[in-house]
Amino acid sequence: MTTPLLLETSAVAKAFGAVVALRAVDLRVRPGEVHALLGANGAGKSTLVKILTGVLRADAGAIAIHGRPVALRRPADAQGHGLAPVFQDPAMAPDLSVAENLRLTRVDVPAVRRHLSDMDLGQLDLGEQVRDVPLPFLRMLDLARALAFDPQLLVLDEITAALPPDLSERVFAVMRRWKERDRAVLFISHRLAEVRAHCDMCTVLRDGRDVASFVPAEGGEGQIVAAMLGEAATVVREEARTRSATAVDVGDTALLEARNIGAGRHLEDVSLAVRAGEVLGLAALEGQGQDVLFDVLSGNRKADRGELVVDGVTVKAHHPFDVIRRGVVLVPSDRLQALLPQRSIRENIAAPLFNRVTRWGPINGREEGRRIDEAVQRLSIDTRAASQVRRLSGGNQQKVTIARWLARGLKVMLLFDPTRGIDVGTKHQVYDLVRALADEGAAIVMFTSELREIGLVCDRSAVLHNGRIVAELPADAGESALLRAAHGLETVPA
Amino acid sequence: MTTVEPTVPGSYDGFATSLPTPTSRWSRLARRQGWTAGVAALLAVLLVWRVSQLPKFGAFEIRTITAGTMTLALLAMAQGVIVISGGIDLSVGSMMVFGNCLSALWMPDRGLAGCLLVAVAVIAITAALATLIGAIITASGVPDIIVTLAASFVLAGMALWVLDAPRSGVSADFQRLVAGRLDNPWPSVLWIGGVLLVLWLPLRRSRLGLAIYALGSDRKAAFLSGVQIAWTRVLAYTAGGVFSGCAGVALTASTGGGGPLASTGTTATLNSVAAVVLGGVALTGGIGGLVGPVLAALCLTLIPAIMLGLGWDPSNAETARGVIIILVVAVAGLLQLRRTRPS
Repeated sequence: MTTPLLLETSAVAKAFGAVVALRAVDLRVRPGEVHALLGANGAGKSTLVKILTGVLRADAGAIAIHGRPVALRRPADAQGHGLAPVFQDPAMAPDLSVAENLRLTRVDVPAVRRHLSDMDLGQLDLGEQVRDVPLPFLRMLDLARALAFDPQLLVLDEITAALPPDLSERVFAVMRRWKERDRAVLFISHRLAEVRAHCDMCTVLRDGRDVASFVPAEGGEGQIVAAMLGEAATVVREEARTRSATAVDVGDTALLEARNIGAGRHLEDVSLAVRAGEVLGLAALEGQGQDVLFDVLSGNRKADRGELVVDGVTVKAHHPFDVIRRGVVLVPSDRLQALLPQRSIRENIAAPLFNRVTRWGPINGREEGRRIDEAVQRLSIDTRAASQVRRLSGGNQQKVTIARWLARGLKVMLLFDPTRGIDVGTKHQVYDLVRALADEGAAIVMFTSELREIGLVCDRSAVLHNGRIVAELPADAGESALLRAAHGLETVPA
Repeated sequence: MTTVEPTVPGSYDGFATSLPTPTSRWSRLARRQGWTAGVAALLAVLLVWRVSQLPKFGAFEIRTITAGTMTLALLAMAQGVIVISGGIDLSVGSMMVFGNCLSALWMPDRGLAGCLLVAVAVIAITAALATLIGAIITASGVPDIIVTLAASFVLAGMALWVLDAPRSGVSADFQRLVAGRLDNPWPSVLWIGGVLLVLWLPLRRSRLGLAIYALGSDRKAAFLSGVQIAWTRVLAYTAGGVFSGCAGVALTASTGGGGPLASTGTTATLNSVAAVVLGGVALTGGIGGLVGPVLAALCLTLIPAIMLGLGWDPSNAETARGVIIILVVAVAGLLQLRRTRPS
């Protein structure tokens, strides 16, 4: 423990309004080390990276580089202290050429070229407009730009997620080179095999805290997964709400069926079916195509390949209304995107009722009121702040997004991470509601970033990885099986 | 490319990613200059049409077009640089009228040198005012469209303080130097080209120019690249103020005086937005240049002239102008969409 630390953070904390992203994180990176930063979705990895690179300012805590405390207020500060990041999204203006973007950052362009040819990418044309460069090569350009600053600590945020394997190998070669020079790399990846093969040390974040630090090659994937899940893994699943024997029979035909759906690079070949009375859980790490899949299912985006079948009828959806009128409704994760934040609960719930443009004449006030009251009561929505939906709590807002579809009637409900950022009590109300809807004969597809919800609410699950369904598991498969599948590791059949 | 030995078991099957094929020189040129070339072609058609309407086409007729367009062309540059940075300025027209009134107040009874000195002072003042507007937008967080709309009212009022009635009597030498004589169109052409060459080209090539484009293209990427977002926004407005001031001085030279008419400013602002859009600057920012808007300004002055030449009622000519703007922008937008969408 005599080697001085290259980077040390102590009790770094950050909150966004009421949402606490980082509670207290201690991270220690030694020179000559490739250090992995791990954690489940929402554990705080990206926030920590943004703080280390000067994009965000920490609310509390201290950061020291080579033993000296530093203040990182701007990306330029971090650069000045020898921290160079490669972000998840390419940091290049799309309408400028690559060369112009390089000039903008005051980077030494010959050095960028040198690093590119070291990675066997010397022929890349820097005169190309960024818009025309495929994403994997933009990541490599970003990497070469970061290397040209000759940083002490190279921060790679999910760089391999968008890279084909041979380009990933070139990134690993760079990491080895950096290590040999007694510099360091902070490596963030969801791919545990890469972490095992290339990282000397790892720190696992959970709920905004660092919960474990160990050598990944020794502990193995089991230890990593256990640290990421923490005690949650051992909690007894006494409140599981899987379909009871008394519920309606699951029909023979699927209410919603996706057949070989493909869309751009994000979705390869996704097939799934949900029948009446069934809750299908969808599990995936961030950025595996789940948002695109939900866009396709909800008619928000046209699939390039494959077909969508609702209740036995093939649907060519050009607009969300095309699927909504067949009873397929979406509850998105961003509640304010679905709601009219400045309007009342009443108007929000009523809005989808007026979607049938073929029906003319004034609004039937009494009928409207009846349906709304029913929905509000059923979801026990707190109506004290009824005049403006944006003043409701997150949980109550989520209930309103669900209530508006209840008032209209539905066959299939698509829920995208419905409990993100809402309190435990309301979460359980949402689980009960989802179950009740299924028991009444609705088919439900629910994506969740909290794997334990699959065991709590769903009847079975599908796991999405790299735009494909890589596993279909029973509800009681357990979180570690889900997590392994979500990381693209093969699962042991239950 | 060479193959690499896999280090992660099972992750790598020897598949080698090929380098992207570079876009051809031709398509790169088409993307960068395509719209400007299109506007130039439209301008050529309109010019031929206009020439064929007139019994005689000589220096006088050319001068009528160029001197009449000069102010709009300069104002389109002002709007253009701000729109490229991702903003909008509804006060450019009022700023021009304000500069016009200031120079009409100070220029009479002065010789050529005095007038030129006044012109420089007026441009400096409009640049300072525009900087203030930009700073208010950046510091207050109030949307640019609101701040500049309010600023346009303030500037219209200030123009009335400066000059409560139209005033003339600006040195004829100065008028000739900027707007040319009745049979000499070249000064106006040279001034438009000169401002593009002396002010815009160096700015476009500078780091600030790059930062303005980056800001309009993707604000987050610009921030992550170390661009000083706030400063760049403010300086884009400063550049706009310089061009608006030029337009004000040009208006003084071409009319021989100035007047505090608020509607002049409002109309000019709306025309500048039309010229910018027709000239290929994307309202979302980051795309386009200032040559396109200048050519578009010429088109916008020619269209009503042609309609009048056809014997149309002036109100119909206005309608035709609006329809042409929508058609041209819609068709050009569709063409661009087809080019950028991969098959």
